[in-house]
Amino acid sequence: MIEQKGHILVLKTGPGTTIQDLGRKNWTKFGIPNSGPCDFISAEWVNHVLRNDGNCAVLEISQPGVKMEFHGSCMIALAGAKASVLLDGEPIPQFQRLVLKNNSVLEVGAMEEGSKVYLGVRGGFQTPLRLGSRSYFQEITPHAFVQKGDQLPYISTHSSFDSGFSVPKWDSTWFQKTALEFYPGPDYQFLSHENREKLLNQEFTVSQFSSRMGTLLTELLENDIPELPTNPVYPGIVQLTSGGKLIVLGRDAQVTGGYPRIMFLTELSQAILAQKRTGQKIRFIKKQP
Amino acid sequence: MKIQAPNYIPITPLIGELHWNLKPSDDLLELQLGWISWLNAELSHEIEEVRQGFSAIGIRWKNEVAQKRFAGNYLNMPIKPYQLSGKIWEVPVCYESNYGTDLGNLALQKHMRVNDLIELHSSTLYRIHFFGFLPGFMYLNGLPEALHTPRKAVPDRSVYPGSVGIGGSQTGIYPMESPGGWHIFGRTPIQLFDPEQDPPVWASIGDQIQFVRISAEEMNDLLENPTLPSSR
Repeated sequence: MIEQKGHILVLKTGPGTTIQDLGRKNWTKFGIPNSGPCDFISAEWVNHVLRNDGNCAVLEISQPGVKMEFHGSCMIALAGAKASVLLDGEPIPQFQRLVLKNNSVLEVGAMEEGSKVYLGVRGGFQTPLRLGSRSYFQEITPHAFVQKGDQLPYISTHSSFDSGFSVPKWDSTWFQKTALEFYPGPDYQFLSHENREKLLNQEFTVSQFSSRMGTLLTELLENDIPELPTNPVYPGIVQLTSGGKLIVLGRDAQVTGGYPRIMFLTELSQAILAQKRTGQKIRFIKKQP
Repeated sequence: MKIQAPNYIPITPLIGELHWNLKPSDDLLELQLGWISWLNAELSHEIEEVRQGFSAIGIRWKNEVAQKRFAGNYLNMPIKPYQLSGKIWEVPVCYESNYGTDLGNLALQKHMRVNDLIELHSSTLYRIHFFGFLPGFMYLNGLPEALHTPRKAVPDRSVYPGSVGIGGSQTGIYPMESPGGWHIFGRTPIQLFDPEQDPPVWASIGDQIQFVRISAEEMNDLLENPTLPSSR
């Protein structure tokens, strides 16, 4: 197998494209968020079909309209949102693993279902490691987002293990579930009986205010909980703001927060929510730890 | 002072927290740091990560059994309060009106003179309890009650790095540009976070911070010749 340096030249991208590996764990004591893929299930799958280590860096695409040129042959994989994909201008059917020749141009267009596409390359992206991770984060990595003209390095290979093997099966309907499971958060105890009933019986809507930091839900919940000291929060924690807004913390969320921490979504539910689009409805189901 | 024992609350199968129903204080911080040093020394093989807040310690476990075992016998652990450091960092702050953009309004609102506000803010020692909110942001305890102010109803879309502000019962320094709801008192020329350094911050939990008033000229000098704050 011949290995040499290759890179993606980004010809076009919307906002919100980042590189993500499994993130930073030992730096929260300095206020540094975990980061990592919002939908870790799809990111994991991409690395799995490429026979990569689970911590290999992948591209997280959260807006359609990404166009990139591959300098150096390689093997790529895609998972997550169901998107229309063009290779050298030609639509290609839904695929998971693909061998690309030097100078291939790949476009990720409209997403029919889901809201995040994960693109992996065999061997993982080789963007710089900062504090033990390649995950993009403002002030830590050289860039906060992938931009037009960026070069994303990888190790170019000529290997293929597709011939003679079956295509791996992967069900992309898992994130269409609308019921999200939660554990009661440390401050759930302060919620009134009425609010608990509302949480369990009402539908909530994913608002347009959604980023890697968190997802704001449209519906309000009356908050009569007195001010609490700032304490640890995690991706998946649902905070109730003083104005009664519900914020589900994302992978780039701050490591401590002062709003009541009323729920904690399970890992699977966090990944499902990551694939929801503005206006989609969700419900909550309580689970005991 | 004898502090009540914490409760251990399992939240998810892998995450739980030691929780005190107390307001932040030096005594509580000494005990929290005692717990953290014990956890690091005795259980680091079972723990993925420890997070600290004003009245809780969050623990992410490597497996469910480890959390269950801990929840069953944490009250029997020999925890000794950790002696807080005597180190005081002198952080220069320029309170001039082009940096302390909200000082004037705050003085009007509080029926206080701008100079008295600055004097009160810069003559107090603040204790670093933990880092959070943004990389390198220090959670400080000790803001005099006369300076407690509700956060802005509409947060500013962008606050300059180094801005020193107050919000609620807290004061702090924005280490990087960020939206923010605090009232801005002034700005420090000191860099608070440098990912190229290990550790990426210069102060430690338990140290104290004193804000030292500097002139616009001194501010410009320090912006041109960056240094770390001095300590005593």
